[in-house]
Amino acid sequence: MHHLALHVATWIFSRLVPEDDREPLIGDLVEEYALRVNAASSSAALKWYLQQICASTPPLLWVRLTRAAWLATLGVALLAYFAVGVMQLIIHWAIPSASAPVYNPLGLVIIFPVVVLIGYFAERFRRRAAILLGAMMLLAITAMTVWATENAPLWYRAAYFFVGPAAAFIGSALRSLRPARS
Amino acid sequence: MKKREEPLGSLEHIVLLAVMRLGEEAYGITVRREIESATGRDLSIGAVYATLVRLESKGFVKSYAGEPTAERGGRAKRYFRVTADGKGALRNTHEIIQKMSAGLKGLGAT
Repeated sequence: MHHLALHVATWIFSRLVPEDDREPLIGDLVEEYALRVNAASSSAALKWYLQQICASTPPLLWVRLTRAAWLATLGVALLAYFAVGVMQLIIHWAIPSASAPVYNPLGLVIIFPVVVLIGYFAERFRRRAAILLGAMMLLAITAMTVWATENAPLWYRAAYFFVGPAAAFIGSALRSLRPARS
Repeated sequence: MKKREEPLGSLEHIVLLAVMRLGEEAYGITVRREIESATGRDLSIGAVYATLVRLESKGFVKSYAGEPTAERGGRAKRYFRVTADGKGALRNTHEIIQKMSAGLKGLGAT
């Protein structure tokens, strides 16, 4: 019974801890467990082992999170997404239209190179950030189409499905072309 | 140079001292034991490791793999040693503590 609990706990723990630290960490726990089995009892040693696993998981998960490169990529993509939002607001504000400024096709024409540029710089900071930006824009447009209460024209919605993500992907592609040129 | 001026957190300080005290025998569980026997603090091995990883990212310790042993189920140890920057950070932290505690009564020594 003790053996099974030990194996299950070790297996779960090994899935949670960073891969680089897995072997030395579990080795340390096993070494101390063996010492405690000899010094006290296997029940006390198992209790100590399980307590260690429970208490060790949060700080080690934090290590795993802080090491993850995707967090930085997500951060850059979120910043780029925010920048696109700000630029959209500026463009809509700058285009004079009396009736419905947000549905102006000129806005789409202007936003396209802007998103390409933002995607390019996002990709410069972090690889795949522009791809993530494109995916985020696609998700946002889908959500807006599904839940939006205002009735935007179909051409406008369809165009936005293409413009935002495509521009971000082009920005990413431009960045990947850069080293080849130099 | 900049790393030496960076102050250590309290757990970082204790872990770094434990690694220094253990010398060639500093690895996760011995660091934990050293801290427990010297201070009575019952730290988890995860907290010790997370601190060691942080110290390594700051350049205050360096790790290297040991040989796998039978009592560890064939798993290798990960040894740590204090770097020159780590020693500098310790000196800096001790200087700060000495300066801050100088002249204070009721703290025991000095």
